[in-house]
Amino acid sequence: MKNGLALFLGVFATLALSWAGLLLTAHKQIGGLNQFKDPADETLYPQPLSGLANQGRLVYQDLGCVSCHTQQVRQQGFGNDLAEGRKWGERGSYARDYIRDQTVLIGQNRIGPDLRNVGSRLGDAKPDEYAQWFYKLLYAPQSVAAGTNMPAHPFLFDVHPVAGRQPSAHALVLSSKFAPGPGLEVVPTPRAVALVAYLQSLKDTYDYPTERSRNTPAPKQGGH
Amino acid sequence: MNPSANNRTEQMEIDASAKWPVLVFFAYGLGWLLLGGLMQLAAAMQLHTPGFLAGCEWVTHGRLAPAAQNALVYGWGMNAAFAFGLWLMARLSATTLRHGGWLFIAAKFWNTGVALGVGGILAGYSTSFELLEMPRFVSLLLLAAYALVGVWAITTFSIRNTENVYASQWYIFGAAFWFPWLYAIAQVMLFQAPVRGVLQPVVNAWYAHGLYNLWFVPLALAAAYYFLPKILGKPVANYYLAALAFWWLAITSAFAGGSRLIGAPVPVWIPTMGIVANMLVVVGVVIVSLNLLGTLSGRFEAAKSSPTLRFILISIASFILAAIMNLALSMRGFAATVQFTLLDGLRDWLSFYACFSTAMFGAAYFLLPRLTGKEWRSTALVKLHFGATALGVLLMVAGLTYAGWTQGQMLNDATVPFTSLTKAMTFWFAFRTGTLGLLLIGHVAFLINFVWIACPINSQGTAAATLRTPPALSLEGHA
Repeated sequence: MKNGLALFLGVFATLALSWAGLLLTAHKQIGGLNQFKDPADETLYPQPLSGLANQGRLVYQDLGCVSCHTQQVRQQGFGNDLAEGRKWGERGSYARDYIRDQTVLIGQNRIGPDLRNVGSRLGDAKPDEYAQWFYKLLYAPQSVAAGTNMPAHPFLFDVHPVAGRQPSAHALVLSSKFAPGPGLEVVPTPRAVALVAYLQSLKDTYDYPTERSRNTPAPKQGGH
Repeated sequence: MNPSANNRTEQMEIDASAKWPVLVFFAYGLGWLLLGGLMQLAAAMQLHTPGFLAGCEWVTHGRLAPAAQNALVYGWGMNAAFAFGLWLMARLSATTLRHGGWLFIAAKFWNTGVALGVGGILAGYSTSFELLEMPRFVSLLLLAAYALVGVWAITTFSIRNTENVYASQWYIFGAAFWFPWLYAIAQVMLFQAPVRGVLQPVVNAWYAHGLYNLWFVPLALAAAYYFLPKILGKPVANYYLAALAFWWLAITSAFAGGSRLIGAPVPVWIPTMGIVANMLVVVGVVIVSLNLLGTLSGRFEAAKSSPTLRFILISIASFILAAIMNLALSMRGFAATVQFTLLDGLRDWLSFYACFSTAMFGAAYFLLPRLTGKEWRSTALVKLHFGATALGVLLMVAGLTYAGWTQGQMLNDATVPFTSLTKAMTFWFAFRTGTLGLLLIGHVAFLINFVWIACPINSQGTAAATLRTPPALSLEGHA
């Protein structure tokens, strides 16, 4: 190879081809993916994030939660995300689930659990109680998840003395081991409220009839 | 004047023209290497000691870890690549590096951009896209600064005084164009006119894979193709195959990005294409190995006397290992287990640190004495640097492979509660911290030696004489 121009053209063609072949083709295929209108309840899915949850997404982004948490549930037969015990979702994630998100952070580290459906993991708790659980997790992770290596986020909370004022209705109920001290209360800041609203909004519960076939059907069991 | 003496004078002129730009880029790079290394060490500590620096928002793990990665990639990696790439391009094109003044401006702008970007991540302006976390406004500054560097690399190439274009030049030339295109396209498609939904992770994967395999790895290969024949004093074995390897690697690596999305909610052809590409990459890696290891065969004892050669050997071994790792992670069964674990992270670490960074260390040990006309002050520190690097790479590869495999098996075993998984991994997180600390010791040793050799005041406290005759190296021969 002696010809600089040929070298340049080759170098250009290499990247142009991969750009067109990978990104442009993918864009053509799923760039126009739309919400799905459920014929029964005439609602569009996935439903958009609430304004507060959308602010929480920005907090999620600026704190770099994606460093340790994924937001993608792998399909049945690849990994074990759906098994009882992990249960990171009722089903694997579809591309359509993500069109409601302005920034899509599917992540690539599972130092912590997957969060794609963390909003639906409340069990028997009421949404308010679940929000309290998140606040405690963010303020003092060990108080609700002993042994975790998640860092505490005290900067998302205000700690101020109760004396001389009405106690806040939103104050965290902490055991004495994690409470800041007598006469002090811990109140979530607006950022914490937004972040928790975002986390609680994370649930892909609707199963699109158009995509359902992508999940391999579960082995037949009596009664299902 | 005989031809070889002529050659020597010419090389000295080229080295003199490249001296200050190279030193400045390397100095910035080493600063970032140390700073980024410290940040990376702190972030690694947070995984096994979650209370460490937890109260401060600026250094919470989610910010510190990407900030460290950006400092290392854009601070150390890019500066070192600029220094080495410009110098080698000038040498191989047999022409002096002109308009060095512009390069100082470029260096200043680039590093201001990186500082703003890393600071921005710590301050909470992160975009959270891998390797593109820096706040948006930085990207224009970085691209402008890059243009100022890239244009001199290309200009130097186009005014070359040589008949032939050598393999190292293809790789530098290619990389010089690929990086700005990759970066600009990723910026546009993620931030200026963002694509929707899962296309964002696709763009991100394409960029991340491109940055490592079309920018950092080509520069490492440029170093290997240059230093091996230079130090061993013999031509590259099977050189006629090198051009094939270059094009083969370029085309296949460009398409391999999708392999990072195995199992992700994207159309299945995207990871499949990446898997196929990663399998094809192997052919290119085999040819490069034939070239490089063929040149080396029977001459391993030369590595004893040359730190450059020793670092390049680690780099070549890691290049092969990184390709194997990419291939292994493309196997669906294997990926299902080790995806999202420490082993997954090892792939990029192999490309960036074990392959690229070690090649730059090797290059520095060769070119800095020639540029400054001084010897390395302390051979003990050179040995310490090499020892720490070799041991660190070995520990990292062996340790994280085992740890990642264990982590993956526990992640996929639904009966293991997540807290037991964390507990089981605590040792390995600490192990990783220790290994990063070991590598950092090597970097400090390198930095001390660098300050000694680069400082204009020499050991006697007087200003160094303008270029002395470089120390005669018996093995030095052709360009």
